[in-house]
Amino acid sequence: MSGRDYLGEFEHIIVLALLRLADQAYGVTVRQEIEFRTSREVSIGAVYATLERLETKGYVKSRRGDPTPERGGRSKRFFRVTAKGMAAVNRTQGALQSMTEGLDFIRSYS
Amino acid sequence: MTSQAFFLQPPRIAVWLVNQFTPPEESESILGDLLEEFSQLASTSGVAVARGWYWRQTVKTIVHLAGSGFRVAPWSTTFGIVAGLLLLRFVSGLPDKVLSALTDRYLAYWSTHFKAYMFWATDGMLIGHLIGSMLVGCMVALAAKGREMVAATTLGLIHGAMIGAALVWVAGHGPMDVRWMLWSCADPLAIVVGGAVIRWRRSAGASLPSHT
Repeated sequence: MSGRDYLGEFEHIIVLALLRLADQAYGVTVRQEIEFRTSREVSIGAVYATLERLETKGYVKSRRGDPTPERGGRSKRFFRVTAKGMAAVNRTQGALQSMTEGLDFIRSYS
Repeated sequence: MTSQAFFLQPPRIAVWLVNQFTPPEESESILGDLLEEFSQLASTSGVAVARGWYWRQTVKTIVHLAGSGFRVAPWSTTFGIVAGLLLLRFVSGLPDKVLSALTDRYLAYWSTHFKAYMFWATDGMLIGHLIGSMLVGCMVALAAKGREMVAATTLGLIHGAMIGAALVWVAGHGPMDVRWMLWSCADPLAIVVGGAVIRWRRSAGASLPSHT
């Protein structure tokens, strides 16, 4: 990793969802948050595949919660954004802002 | 009192499929997440809607996890699949050789049991092919630890596509034996079954300490 990488579109969305959910971020809440805010149906597999990739890059960390009966005795896996992940999301946000600055979207697409 | 939806179980085949394709370290959280949302949905929208949702999630999840399995270890997975294809080529000739050897060795027996000989010479060989394909599926799955089903299913799909192309070619060049065609189509399935057997054995082995 060069340390200057930008987040991909879905990676960016996932990291923003983790930041919104704070200490309540696990598979179900992340998936529902994305569906609620983007109106796009997301699979749990897509969420985990991306979270796994982000964890490998060191942008997120996970920890296991306690097993609960409504999950058939299975535990939750909570995720949080690391300092390196915060730097990546800031870099990506900055790049997007810089690229969109001064653009008149309404005029451009009319 | 606990609601009825709480005790509802998602479609068993879907749960089994997700479990087969999920890396062992992720299967607990993914299956738990799916069950939690399934229960929520069943109590708010009904069991039929929840089951439909679970199946949609299953298909999409398998596709994503299969793709992710390739991204995690592209070279070792590709090598396993290529080795599997070469192994299939080697294994495909074995039943014929074994059949000839055993026929020659027990010629006296076959001459008095003609029906058994006919079964041996036709179905026996086809069953031998299936067992060979299943063993190749097992070997590929053994090599692809944690991605057993991804490797075995991909090999099955490639082999299936090759058989499909061969069948089209044969159909265009004369009459085709339907029975042989059906047996050929079972080969890719046998590869996937081999992968599932290894995955099942590994999952059972991994979950043993938690039951004690």
